[in-house]
Amino acid sequence: MTEPLLEVEGIAIAFGGVQALAGVSLEVRAGEIFSLIGPNGAGKTTLFNVISGVLRPDAGDVRFLGRSIIGRAPHRIAQAGIARTYQIVRPFGRLSVVDNVAVGALIHARTVERARRDAREIVEFVGLAPYADRFASDLTLTQRKRLEVARALALRPKLLLLDEVMAGLTPSEMDGMADFVLGLSERGIAAVCGIEHVMRLVMRISHRIAVLDAGRLIAQGDPHAIQNDPAVIEAYLGTPTVAG
Amino acid sequence: MKTALRIAAVVAIAALVFAPLRLNGYLLNLLYTTVLYVALAYGWNIISGYAGYFSFGQIAFFGIGAYATGLLVADQHWFWMVAALAGGIVACALAVPLGYVMLRLRGPFFAMGMFGMAQMVRVLVTAIPATGSGAGLFLPPGSSLTGVYYWTLAICLGAIALTLWIDRSAFGLRLQALREDEQVAGTLGVDVTRAKITAFSLSALIPGLLGGGYALFLTYIEPDAAFSSRLDLQSIVMAILGGVGTVWGPLVGGIVMTQVSEALWARFPQIYLMLFGGLLVALLLALPRGIVPAIASRWRAR
Ligand SMILES: Nc1ncnc2c1ncn2[C@@H]1O[C@H](COP(=O)(O)OP(=O)(O)O)[C@@H](O)[C@H]1O
Ligand SMILES: [Mg+2]
Repeated sequence: MTEPLLEVEGIAIAFGGVQALAGVSLEVRAGEIFSLIGPNGAGKTTLFNVISGVLRPDAGDVRFLGRSIIGRAPHRIAQAGIARTYQIVRPFGRLSVVDNVAVGALIHARTVERARRDAREIVEFVGLAPYADRFASDLTLTQRKRLEVARALALRPKLLLLDEVMAGLTPSEMDGMADFVLGLSERGIAAVCGIEHVMRLVMRISHRIAVLDAGRLIAQGDPHAIQNDPAVIEAYLGTPTVAG
Repeated sequence: MKTALRIAAVVAIAALVFAPLRLNGYLLNLLYTTVLYVALAYGWNIISGYAGYFSFGQIAFFGIGAYATGLLVADQHWFWMVAALAGGIVACALAVPLGYVMLRLRGPFFAMGMFGMAQMVRVLVTAIPATGSGAGLFLPPGSSLTGVYYWTLAICLGAIALTLWIDRSAFGLRLQALREDEQVAGTLGVDVTRAKITAFSLSALIPGLLGGGYALFLTYIEPDAAFSSRLDLQSIVMAILGGVGTVWGPLVGGIVMTQVSEALWARFPQIYLMLFGGLLVALLLALPRGIVPAIASRWRAR
């Protein structure tokens, strides 16, 4: 648990006049559950886009297993062991649920049959077995969220970037998702959870938490320290909307 | 059901193989054009159906194949099938750098970009003095319609076999994933650039190979024939009517369209085009995703 799996160093990126990230640095260790919290627009999704290679930052570096991955194509980052989900779910609508998952499984499987077999197991694991052969466009929002996770798992990642996977879930579903993330950690898979609200769960599952506000990290530490950080309380926890 | 279909396929292929022995010139001509259209539709279906990059310019590769064959036969005295094969390979190889540039465009921009590219290729090809600079190029007689027909039939069957393989392969799954969402496919480990360029060059190989046969069929090539937008459009309509991105769509669409077109032309020669256009619109309104997906979903619903 000592050597860092992911090192983010001074990442900055602007969209037109909006400085979405202004020098963000953090480290995630193997098997760790790291929560990235912050209000809507803080820059969580943008950071995930940078780490997964979808966006190229204006400045800064991202290292995975000691190697810089800035400028690498997204598929190479995925193959190296970083998987992500999308906050706004993006299923391959006209593919079956199994095929949605099989796409990611292809990086390990030599044949498409093998990939589909692996995919079926994962589909079962996330509880979508009854819908395995349906078109992904037939799924409900909650099911689509699970499909996002299933597709990411098919890559057998070392690091999973979960973008707002709690959003839109019922409280009991949220607890299920929290247990699921804890289970991943026990199997050695690190997770970075981008989460806007639901502080109760963040405090329960996270080994460490970073608080992002308007593109800057205003605090970083274990759940206890974060809860008592005056800057955090002021900027974030203090607002009544985050009680959930 | 499976065996019945298999037997039907064998019978159909046998009938196509023995057709030249029984058909008169007119009917063989008609059969050749049908097979040519269907094969073109299969070529288009890979990049535009499976990968979702709707192209209005695959005819560029047909023209390249036709002119390459023409030059090799007329100037270098190659045997025409070898020349046509070379034409296909040239088209396929050119598609790699062209695809690298063009496939950065998306949606309507790619479609229009390909249309423009086909025009550019046409101008470039016909600017070469050896091609007759647009005036045309005569080929020495050396092949019968039967030979061209068999060449085209072989490519058509090859294109169907290739599509069957793509539909069941990892490559095909990658194409369909990037068609649905390119960014997501990328973050799920798909090398989208490579998959797209491969699809594009396969979609160039098929018309490239067909072009050489067409050059021999015409015995005289000129830009309007080699870069025929009619051939391009009609084969695209066939694929759309049959069902884009399906294995059997181009075949079903091709058969339906040529049959209907012939029947209407024979009975109502004056208003044939109008009837045909109207029928096409009605069919597409009734079956917006094409014939094959409509049948498939009805089948599943039973
Ligand atoms: N592709 C983009 N183009 C323009 N602005 C963007 C883009 N992506 C994000 N932003 C802006 O960057 C800021 C951070 O957004 P985001 O990363 O989505 O925040 P979060 O995920 O924390 O809610 C917001 O102001 C958002 O409007
Ligand atoms: Mg977000």
